[in-house]
Amino acid sequence: MNLSALVLNGMVAAPVVLVVLVLLVARLSEAAAVRVAAFGGLVVLGWSVWLAALSQTRLDGTAVDVPWLAAIDVRWHLGVDGISLPLLLMSTVVFACTLLALVRNAPDCGGTAWLAALLLLIEAGVLGSFLALDLVLFFAFFEVALIPMWFVIDQWGDAHGPRGLQQRRRAATRFLVFTVLGSALMLVGFVVVRSETGTFDIVRIAASYDPVGPVALTAAALVALGLAVKTPLWPLHIWLPDAHSKAPTVGSVVLAAVLLKLGTYGFLRFWLPLVDPGWDWLLPVVGGVAVVGIVYGALACLAQTDLKRLIAYSSVGHMGFVVLAAATYTIGGVQGAVYASVAHGVVTGLLFFLAGAVKDRYGTGDLRELRGLYGRVPRLGGLVAFGAMASLGLPGLAGFWGEMLAVRAALFPAGVLPRVTFVGFAVVAALGVILASAYFLALLRSAFQAGETGASPPPAVVAGDVSRWEWLVWSPLVAAIVVLGVAPGLLLTPVAEATVAFLGGGR
Amino acid sequence: MSWLVLTLLVVPFVSAVATLGFGHRAEGAGRGIAVGGSLLTLGLATAVAVPHLGAAAPLTHVYAETAATLPPFQLAVLVDPLSAVLLLLAGTVAALVQVYSLGYLRGDSRYPSYAALVSIFTGAMCTVVVADDLWVLLVGWELMGACSYFLISHHWELAEARAGAVKAFLMTRTADLGLLFAILLLGERFGSYRISTILEAVAGQALQRDELWLPAVLVAVSVMGKSAQFPFHTWLPDAMPGPTPISALIHAATMVAAGVFLVARLYPLFVSAPAALTLLALTAAATMFLAALYALVTDDLKRVLAWSTVSQLAYMFGALALGAWSAGVMHLLSHGAFKALLFLAAGSVMHAVGSTSMDRMGGLRTKLPDTFATMTIGFAALAGVVPFVGFFSKDAVIAGAYEGAVHGRLVWPWVAWVLVGSMVLTAVLTVAYSLRAWLLTFFGPEQEHADELDLHEAPPSMRVPLWLLVVPTTIGGFVVLNPAAVLGPEHVEQMFHVGESILMTALVAVTSLVVLALWRSRGRELWPRVVVPHPPVDRLYDAALVRPVRWLARLVVAADRDVVDGYADGAGGTARGVGGLLRLAQNGNVQSYLMVVVVGAAAVAVVAGAVTT
Repeated sequence: MNLSALVLNGMVAAPVVLVVLVLLVARLSEAAAVRVAAFGGLVVLGWSVWLAALSQTRLDGTAVDVPWLAAIDVRWHLGVDGISLPLLLMSTVVFACTLLALVRNAPDCGGTAWLAALLLLIEAGVLGSFLALDLVLFFAFFEVALIPMWFVIDQWGDAHGPRGLQQRRRAATRFLVFTVLGSALMLVGFVVVRSETGTFDIVRIAASYDPVGPVALTAAALVALGLAVKTPLWPLHIWLPDAHSKAPTVGSVVLAAVLLKLGTYGFLRFWLPLVDPGWDWLLPVVGGVAVVGIVYGALACLAQTDLKRLIAYSSVGHMGFVVLAAATYTIGGVQGAVYASVAHGVVTGLLFFLAGAVKDRYGTGDLRELRGLYGRVPRLGGLVAFGAMASLGLPGLAGFWGEMLAVRAALFPAGVLPRVTFVGFAVVAALGVILASAYFLALLRSAFQAGETGASPPPAVVAGDVSRWEWLVWSPLVAAIVVLGVAPGLLLTPVAEATVAFLGGGR
Repeated sequence: MSWLVLTLLVVPFVSAVATLGFGHRAEGAGRGIAVGGSLLTLGLATAVAVPHLGAAAPLTHVYAETAATLPPFQLAVLVDPLSAVLLLLAGTVAALVQVYSLGYLRGDSRYPSYAALVSIFTGAMCTVVVADDLWVLLVGWELMGACSYFLISHHWELAEARAGAVKAFLMTRTADLGLLFAILLLGERFGSYRISTILEAVAGQALQRDELWLPAVLVAVSVMGKSAQFPFHTWLPDAMPGPTPISALIHAATMVAAGVFLVARLYPLFVSAPAALTLLALTAAATMFLAALYALVTDDLKRVLAWSTVSQLAYMFGALALGAWSAGVMHLLSHGAFKALLFLAAGSVMHAVGSTSMDRMGGLRTKLPDTFATMTIGFAALAGVVPFVGFFSKDAVIAGAYEGAVHGRLVWPWVAWVLVGSMVLTAVLTVAYSLRAWLLTFFGPEQEHADELDLHEAPPSMRVPLWLLVVPTTIGGFVVLNPAAVLGPEHVEQMFHVGESILMTALVAVTSLVVLALWRSRGRELWPRVVVPHPPVDRLYDAALVRPVRWLARLVVAADRDVVDGYADGAGGTARGVGGLLRLAQNGNVQSYLMVVVVGAAAVAVVAGAVTT
């Protein structure tokens, strides 16, 4: 096994080894096990940097390519390029942050070591999904990432309120049922693709598959439907607000920052090669649904009364931008999709950390009760304002470039696509940006600046502004938001090169 | 030289971070860093600007570029005389505001974040004026919007401060979509986002105007939003709950000035697109008159000044729309000096009186001698009294507009004449409202309870900036009259016109005499009190946009709740989940809700599009 094969396999294996290690140490001391997990998160992060240093921006699928389930021609085929690497690095950073957060901020109900182990298991599934170059292998890793999340929500989720336990379980189960159903549709689509191409190998499919005819269209539509559940796209998003708001803080962070990206990555890596842009309706319908999601998510945010639900719904809008960009079938679109995905990961990850910090301090995320937080916890308030500005797409921060590129791609879509339709999408998507500004300012106005109504705000359960440990955990995300905001070239260059190599220069 | 420009762009941001980092631990350190940073910025701005005034060759430099996008993004700067004068203006006003704020915000626990935001604001404005790449420009442009949002809501415990801040941000950001789309279209059309490249290309093909009207009109829309021109004029007066030094910064040197700067910067594009110039001309004609009317009747000193900014900005747009480029830019500089002076002086008045309402003022000239003297000069400049800077720049604008109306071919003659007429009429109103505000503040009887207030002149940190601003306000006319020495040798326009000057001075004199006669006979009630109506446009926005959006938001939440409940009822266990999904799809109620939402979203888009253009 040569070096790059070792690094690729190790990228998936390292979190699994850490899971075992954490559980073994947990028998001796829970606190020590959590520290091991946090350290492990940093090791995996370092490993991903190593992988990045070794990799090229163009996809090289030859290092790890061996038969796995030989009977059905599924191969253990891993590789990385400029499309997956940014997402992979973002994921390892976010996982490292969440595992570090657990060291000082253990959930009330205990079992922190188990929670850390589950997060590492999810990390293994996520990293595998970003590395997989075989359709079925992607599906398998995806499932590995999903199942542990059910436990995370169901065991450590928010059980406040009457029937809190039932609601928590319902949220967890709804998340699992929807995403597994989505996976099933996607798998059916993959099988149909194999009947057309004779292979599950996405590199070969991308190079030589010419999707024509109703079967190819059916396959692409099925895969799109499955990914639309996972991303999620309107109107299949209804599992998301409950899952994201009921999950514990670290769970929300991972769900929003990382798990949604599996869906958007799936669109780029495993769906675009299955699509013929000349089809009359598939790309316009996907783009249109994405645009509706942008506006719908923003409108839903305007009427939310819970901090975490608001951030959850904002994800629906952001994912709409990503999928709109992908549906334009252009290199600029793929650039925008990757950029918006990475930016959403760091920005929404930070926002969920901050929302968790607010809930820890005041025992509630109810926007009708919280008020005047600028005065009570000014640094936390300042960070939320910063995160809100990044999320509403202020130029100069991470959120802007991806969404701008999505609008640009929609304004100038691939030549065969209906131009007028996509220009309309671009205009509506841009209006979604204004609505996003409106709901974030409304959030700051009601909860962080003083409110006109309401008697007394809830008392602080945990006193104090941002702690040193919180600064430590959040600062990588803050730094990433600024760096991605002022140096867009860092990401755009590798993505463009990889896209040309993967999909061909003509697209 | 290029590293100096980069340093200039970085220093304000570093200073902001340092102010935030140290300001909460040691008050003195925060103040020292903030003021020191602003003085360093001013020094750097001077060092960058002075060599590029007048006939010097412009500096262009590309620090970094991303070839991965087509066209590429470039971190590029362009320093020409236009950038240079605005760097000097922004640097000076920002430094004076920081010094002034030492006194004005003494003891304010939010000083560190305030001072940091002022630094970022300055850095953003510097970014805008030296940007040679449209994306770099957009970053500075929107960063200013965000800074103004935070600074307007500095006193966030006040409901009107919160509302004004949100309004400012949302209105300008909506208009900014115009700039975003314009950048995208220009990049596609010219294969570059470099401003200098695009302008050269525009100049090289002056006859092919077909494709340029749309980006030019879109830029014009975003400029109208940033500079608070009709129909976006309502955010600026509502931004008055912010601290007064911030008003000086926003009104004189940064945010709203950036709108005028952008038109001046992209001027060849506008000259190639008569539609955009016509839009600007008509907007300016309506805005200057309307805003002057508001200024005439409002009883709040800061609002008088805010409306006067809206009105004076319209003069600049009017000059640019009729081809008087130098006059427009000179009026921007001149207005920057006297409006900074007026706002800082008004802050000094409020510091003493504790209110912005002119009902609480009167007879202050003996109590606040420095403020009275400096503000008098500021008002004289605003009204266009000889020999203050406003006289020269405003006359240059009106004369230039007249020339444009007689000889120009940029817009239709009737548009030009409407604009010139509005300029003359507004000049009369300007004299009237300036004089009224001056009289109500400083003359007449002292208000009741004035003795109980400990009326005293402001500390030196606030008075020194006032006197410093008196200098350009008084002798700035020399600069205005020599555009070639400042803006470059191609700007040889005759800025002084004897005929117009005599006419305008006569108008000023007659108007002043009428107002003074009214003051003699009627006292503080110069003209019948008009309750300032909320601008009707605001009610339109509320009815056409805000309320429908809220209604749609509730509908969306209801739709989601119905879907989720419908699903949850059927899904006791995972096995029944599929049934729930199918039921969901057949639920006619849900479908109709969702249909309504989609149609509604489209309708909002159409309405918004109609309103913003």
